[in-house]
Amino acid sequence: MDGKVIVVTSGKGGVGKTTVTASIGAALALQGKRVAVVDMDIGLRNLDVVMGLENRIVFNIVDIIQGKCKLKQAAIKDRRIDNLYLIPASQSHEKNVIKPENMVWLCSKMKKEFDFTLLDCPAGIEQGFKNSIAAADQAIVVCTPEVSSVRDADRVIGLLYARNITPKLIINRIVPKMVESGDMLSHDDIIEVLSIDLVGLVEMDDKVVVSTNTGTPLIMQKDSKAGNAFQRIAMRLDGHPDLPIENPMDQKGFWKRISKKFSRKN
Amino acid sequence: MTDHQDPPVRLKGVGDSLWVTVDSSLPSERIYEEITKIFDRLKHLAINAKVVIDTGDQDDSDQLVEELSGFLKSKFQVGHVFKAQSRKHTHDIPDERGPDASETGVVTQNDSLIIAGRVRSGQTIEARKHLVILGDLNPGAEAVAGGDILVLGSLQGKAAAGQPDNINAIVMALEFKPTQIQIAGFVVAGNPRMVGSVPEFAHIENDQIVVNDYMKANPFKRMNWPEER
Repeated sequence: MDGKVIVVTSGKGGVGKTTVTASIGAALALQGKRVAVVDMDIGLRNLDVVMGLENRIVFNIVDIIQGKCKLKQAAIKDRRIDNLYLIPASQSHEKNVIKPENMVWLCSKMKKEFDFTLLDCPAGIEQGFKNSIAAADQAIVVCTPEVSSVRDADRVIGLLYARNITPKLIINRIVPKMVESGDMLSHDDIIEVLSIDLVGLVEMDDKVVVSTNTGTPLIMQKDSKAGNAFQRIAMRLDGHPDLPIENPMDQKGFWKRISKKFSRKN
Repeated sequence: MTDHQDPPVRLKGVGDSLWVTVDSSLPSERIYEEITKIFDRLKHLAINAKVVIDTGDQDDSDQLVEELSGFLKSKFQVGHVFKAQSRKHTHDIPDERGPDASETGVVTQNDSLIIAGRVRSGQTIEARKHLVILGDLNPGAEAVAGGDILVLGSLQGKAAAGQPDNINAIVMALEFKPTQIQIAGFVVAGNPRMVGSVPEFAHIENDQIVVNDYMKANPFKRMNWPEER
């Protein structure tokens, strides 16, 4: 059976698309699936660094499309996780060297090799975005609890619907304390505006920075809240769609919740 | 200048009958000739058809209609032939009391656009006249209308009503939290303090845009009878 192609996109930059792609890719691979993560940000590649594979790049996605190498030659196997492969972006080309039809061709080949192909879409809605969504079966929209990010996510959702792709939402970098004090949008506010299915809530986690800088997979850090959230998201994408979504706001202990309930009555 | 003349016999379908307009000032041979030409083309459609002959308000045309009736029935097997009622009407006296109460429920022709769904950031909905959105208008989305804009949901984007110069237009939303409102040439920025818990509407009052509680102000309640917007 053919695999799935999932594009991870957001519109706005810096919301965590690359982290989401790397983490979900790693989690799916640990669940025993064959996974490829593809860096679509031609000219500004990052995913290789986040995954700690930058020193192993020989060929890249542009080389595959231009026929300079085979798919298998460009796919870099992860150091720690079996079944996880990276197709890096080219750092020296511009985004318009790839056309949407090239991606359709590439993804049709990748579907035969991998159970999941995750495309790390560049920020913006220009050529890089168009290339990324051309061959996608599903889309994950990443959004942070900021008005600007929600606005851009909304735009991207509109564009995805126009291509008959029904996106799912990940809300990243939630700071429960700020939400509680009313300084940050709650996930309910965001879903109210975006009105698409939620696939996960990810709490702000300092370990993400450590993981990104050292190139170690976030989900291999046992006590990482974000890592755990990504692991559950991967399960939801792979056969457990009804796995309950944990709300970061609820993780404060039994007594606190009880006292909150009583204080509401006053 | 060429003298443009209507054809001597014209045919059109009206309801379930064929309406034949005849220029009765022409000689009858010419009329028969033209009618034969037209009805030949109809073939089986003429059989048992109801035919109305309109001689154009000529009072002395009864005989002509009778002759044509016999001709059509025998040659083309039409069902019934009637003479068109005179179109001379007494001039309508304008009714100063306004529309009859029995007519107020009648929907007249209107260019309103009614859409359902969520209008997302970057999308623009334009309507020639009124625009009704059953759903929400998100931040970053735009609605533009020649008349009113009614959002039966949450208005959080930009709404431009009464474009370009209809100062009577309103913008109404069940949850009124717009980024910006324009009515005709007037512009007002949305206010973050707009709580939007009750249906509100924006309209022009003394050359500025004013926002009021729709149910409290009920701007149309004093109208004597329902009117088309």
